[in-house]
Amino acid sequence: MTTATNLRTVPLVRRYLTFTWLVLGLAVLIMIVAAIAQPSIVVDTLVTGGMWALLAGGLALIFGVMNIPNFAHGELFLIGSLVGFTVFSPIQDAILENPDAALLKVVGPFPGMIAAALVGAAVGVGLEVLLFRPLRKRSRDQWVMNTFLLTAGVSVLLVNMDRLVIGNDFRGITRYWDVPPIRLLDVSISVDRAMVFIIALITIALFSLFLQRTRVGRAMRAVAQDEAGAQMAGIDLKRIFMLTIGLSSGLASLAGAALLFMFPSYPDVGLQPLYLAWYVVILAGLGNVQGAIAGAFIVSLLQTLTVFYVGVGWVDVLPTGFIILILLFKPSGLFGSAVKGIWEQ
Amino acid sequence: MLELTNLESGYELLQVLWGVSLRVDEGEFVALLGPNGAGKTTTLRTIAGFLSPIRGDVTFQGRSIGDAAPSAVSRMGIGFVSETLNLFPAMTVHENLLVGAYAVKDKRQIAATRDLVFELFPRLHERRDQLAGTLSGGERKMLAIGRGLMPSPSLLLVDEPSLGLAPMATLATFAALKALRERGVTILLVEQNVNTTLHLVDRAYVLEQGRIVLEGTGTELLGNSHVQEAYLGI
Amino acid sequence: MANPSVANAPTSPIEADRDATRRHRAALLLVLGIAIVLPFVPPFTGQDYQRWLVGAALLAAMAVAFDFTAGYINVVNFGFAAFVGLGGYTSGLLAVDLGVSPWIGIFVGAALAGFVGLLTGMLTLRLRGIYAAVMAWFVGLAVMGLVRNLPDITRGSLGLNVPLLLDTSDNLPYYYVILGMLVVTLVVLTVVIRSYIGLAFRAIGQNLQAARASGINPTRYLVLNFALSSAFAGWLGGFYAHYYGILTPDVMLTSRTVEVLAVAYIGGRGSLWGPAVIAFPLSIAVELLRTQFANLPGLYLVLYGLLLIVVMIYRPGGVAAAARSVDEWIARRRRPEPVETPRAT
Repeated sequence: MTTATNLRTVPLVRRYLTFTWLVLGLAVLIMIVAAIAQPSIVVDTLVTGGMWALLAGGLALIFGVMNIPNFAHGELFLIGSLVGFTVFSPIQDAILENPDAALLKVVGPFPGMIAAALVGAAVGVGLEVLLFRPLRKRSRDQWVMNTFLLTAGVSVLLVNMDRLVIGNDFRGITRYWDVPPIRLLDVSISVDRAMVFIIALITIALFSLFLQRTRVGRAMRAVAQDEAGAQMAGIDLKRIFMLTIGLSSGLASLAGAALLFMFPSYPDVGLQPLYLAWYVVILAGLGNVQGAIAGAFIVSLLQTLTVFYVGVGWVDVLPTGFIILILLFKPSGLFGSAVKGIWEQ
Repeated sequence: MLELTNLESGYELLQVLWGVSLRVDEGEFVALLGPNGAGKTTTLRTIAGFLSPIRGDVTFQGRSIGDAAPSAVSRMGIGFVSETLNLFPAMTVHENLLVGAYAVKDKRQIAATRDLVFELFPRLHERRDQLAGTLSGGERKMLAIGRGLMPSPSLLLVDEPSLGLAPMATLATFAALKALRERGVTILLVEQNVNTTLHLVDRAYVLEQGRIVLEGTGTELLGNSHVQEAYLGI
Repeated sequence: MANPSVANAPTSPIEADRDATRRHRAALLLVLGIAIVLPFVPPFTGQDYQRWLVGAALLAAMAVAFDFTAGYINVVNFGFAAFVGLGGYTSGLLAVDLGVSPWIGIFVGAALAGFVGLLTGMLTLRLRGIYAAVMAWFVGLAVMGLVRNLPDITRGSLGLNVPLLLDTSDNLPYYYVILGMLVVTLVVLTVVIRSYIGLAFRAIGQNLQAARASGINPTRYLVLNFALSSAFAGWLGGFYAHYYGILTPDVMLTSRTVEVLAVAYIGGRGSLWGPAVIAFPLSIAVELLRTQFANLPGLYLVLYGLLLIVVMIYRPGGVAAAARSVDEWIARRRRPEPVETPRAT
């Protein structure tokens, strides 16, 4: 019996994975070549890739569990950067006044990031309670398209609220950790970048562990796979929805705060992170969280290569071409199988 | 234990049940029989909380559960194995069972029920780490029943377990239900396989066009002329 | 006995239908009449107000073209602004570089936008609706990136100076031109919607699977719809270019799409006339807000966002649905009460 099942699953696995492995292999190959030719490409890819992974992972999660294609995801990045700046500014002043306070120098940046994640999560929960829950109660017809438009409205609202209330100027910092850069294999890496990468790695690891191993994480995946089945098991959808949107939003805000030294806070700051996260999610397959994490590094590599060899202005043009190519061959994305395209039917 | 009184229920534009009253006592094995479209699944979906009664009420252990959400119904001790099974296809067999025990906090109890499920369905034990989406029809049914058992429900609602199964797998499923009943689980079973069911259960109701038309023990109904004519083809 | 006001009241359902059509036509002609005489009514006689009227009519026409896809086949063209810009740049560049008359150029721009819409549709509309919406957005971003990055051709962010459509800078003639274009857009798209093609659109929009089962090839109709809407977007973009006289890549910003989208949904999805009518009061109100509160940038967009959110959750039919219920109320009033035969006692 076991061999019979294997016969059934093996070709399936092969069909789904060969193309994906091809792309992944190519990405790794480019990374190796780049590491020899231009090591900074590797550093840039990993640093931004880690943060895009947080954004895209959250975006994939909220689509998978709640079927919401969140167009306001970038505004949570904005909220994160704003909270990060507000909390870190006085701390930075304190550091400047006491240049000898070593502990303050080391841990100073963290309160802002933590506060950003918490505020982001709270805003997410607020959106669920104020907007998505009433809409869900009224009608679930055309839910995906309607929530897409609804979140577009939220995005416009939040961006312009920021412009109206906070103002149109840039609020940024030059660095979180005021220490000399690390030298590694002939490349100098600023401590901020190294820390951002480490924070991303730890967060991704915790996030994956939570989804894979904990009771609530499993319940989230259960809701994504079969909402009715999850309810039969006694899972309260309302609670899971709040946790999901809170987690997704919190991750986006954390990214916003952590990248404050690269992206100063201003009303439109969420735009680029938004479409990068969407590039990743479309590339990986909608709703696929692990795929999104892997895809984030591919998009980041693509982006870094574009900036390095073509020019910064082409950063939106080339990934689009690449994604269209991928979707031609695999309409459901690199790692997805939930969506059926015409080529699979 | 479970009591429906003059239950009227259905969907937005289509009322299906027109005053259904039935009762399931502690430890009983009761079947709800009837033709396609009579409202059997609607009855179970209303009990499980997926539909709200238009009129009438559902009480479970003396409490009204008519307006309770599905998750609340499940937490009160009513397990529901739906016709469509609603498994989690991208999770392993073991994970499906763990999600089934979502409401249970005690780790030892979860392990004990899981062992019981594996004992009832050894096949699931063999397939423990396989994704639910790759199981055969019979295995999927077993997993759905197993998942329904994980919170140790006092009442199990089972919708058409024989649907789409080969005769051998059907027999195995019925045998499992019988074994469950002997372990003291109360069962309300919806079936179209009238002959086998009536030999298996304590009591049964016949539902036609949204109303209960007959009620009796298995043997009584086997001898009833309407049942013989309409369902047994005698 | 007979109430004089209901003397000519319809008696049969067919006549009631005819009556309704007559009533609707009368209402639309009345609105058109108002739109025609409006520039002669104070305060609309001023150049400022007339400029706003031109903007309102342009926005109205764009919202109609947008509603043609969003309201009927349920695909939201998130790259709409890019198609507008594509038409504008095509016509503008033809005029600047080759001296082609704007009156010809705007049709070439329409054709090119339609063609790109066709390609985009063919690539993405085989996939689920949300993929098409997001991919159209990506294509829009890519087109905008191209325009920005090819300053030798488009002058990039510096802006392209484009000859005007008419030999005057008086707003009034432009107003009648764009009003004519609005009427053409509305009439052509309504005719399409009323034909059997429109029936297929609605069938697909409501239930893709069922439409497929009843023998409709959904992709062909989806692509047709998308291309037609894009062509109109390009045509209107041509007017934009030759009215304002300057083009920057910013015409293609996503926020421009969201503005059109908000008008379309506030007006009422799937009605065509709803967006056309609501665009006037809405954009005049927005312009008033802008001038009154010039020190509060973004205020009008906050209102757009709020309106869109409220409409999406609580009034999914928008203004058109509200108007429809008024219409039904009138129809009920006009229908004679069923005569009750007095009972013999």
